[in-house]
Amino acid sequence: MSDVKEITSVEGWEEHVSSLPPSTLLIVSFHAPWAAPCAQMATVLSTLASEYPVTEPPATSWVKINAEDLSDISEAYNVTAVPFLVLIRNGEVLETVSGSSAVRVRNAIESHASKTGAGAAAANGPVTTAGGDEGEVATEEDPEKKKQELFRRLGDLVKAAPVMLFMKGTPSEPKCGFSRQLVGVLRDNAVKYGFFNILADDEVRQGLKEFADWPTFPQLWVDGELVGGLDIVKEELDSNADFLKPYSVKANGDVSAAAS
Amino acid sequence: MAETAITEDSVRAALTERLKATHVEIQDMSGGCGQAFTSLIVSPEFAGKNSLKRHRLVNAALKVEIAQIHAWSAKCQTPEEYDKEMAATGGNDKPPMDGTEGGKVTGVNE
Repeated sequence: MSDVKEITSVEGWEEHVSSLPPSTLLIVSFHAPWAAPCAQMATVLSTLASEYPVTEPPATSWVKINAEDLSDISEAYNVTAVPFLVLIRNGEVLETVSGSSAVRVRNAIESHASKTGAGAAAANGPVTTAGGDEGEVATEEDPEKKKQELFRRLGDLVKAAPVMLFMKGTPSEPKCGFSRQLVGVLRDNAVKYGFFNILADDEVRQGLKEFADWPTFPQLWVDGELVGGLDIVKEELDSNADFLKPYSVKANGDVSAAAS
Repeated sequence: MAETAITEDSVRAALTERLKATHVEIQDMSGGCGQAFTSLIVSPEFAGKNSLKRHRLVNAALKVEIAQIHAWSAKCQTPEEYDKEMAATGGNDKPPMDGTEGGKVTGVNE
């Protein structure tokens, strides 16, 4: 499974780009650490990346760039807002996606990458997709297929981190009292977790209710399984104070993907 | 789909009937709009079930109602657990008010 590599210098960028074979799809994520949607996009991307095995030659290469630190690179790609995704193959920009829609990002990446990504047969040599080669790709038209696709994505998303919080808003800016309290509980227990703002993605918001068979948010998932909402989490802690201990960080409070 | 308004009484009645609840306390936390409720539900049907399973039982029993409101919290106890907590807290076992501010929910209309 692939990881998202952080590029920290212009030299590093140039070196990385020139090292890639012409068939590799280069997925570049521009981010700014202070922007909460970027933390969420980081979770979405690392989940996606993990579905693409590392092949030889590499079918995909995933990198992230701090848009402010490496402003020369951001300018070269007209990055005006973050998060911003650029898909490149053989030096040519195939597509860009601006904003934090997990669905658009995934669709763009999947339509350009070889579909032999997640654990199927190895890629058969260089992929000559110039975008829009929908021939072998499962069509998105069929609603049943679409739902299966969505559920597959959700299945991955709930496992994006050992503890995943699906909430309204972000840990630094919760948009409802229940989400705010649950963030507080996780912080009090020094839990390290990934989060997803369901207000920013309506497909996940509605899909997850059905996938989980659970009508409300926030939802806390641990090791890919639903624990429940605020009331249940508190009940679990009441009956077992060490309930979240395996997921806590011992050291000085680096508790979540976005600082509060 | 029934168009009857969701009230504290209607939820209490549904729980008593569908879950054989022996004690139900419902509190409207939407400032009287009937849009958000917190509850304490005592039923022998909860015995032997973990927290999630108990809540799922309640969700199933109140599927129609919950689909129509904005927020729902519950505390699910067996009669034994209820008696125990009442004894331990001097009669202070109540629906959970976590997540509310001044007895009202916030941010559920997003």
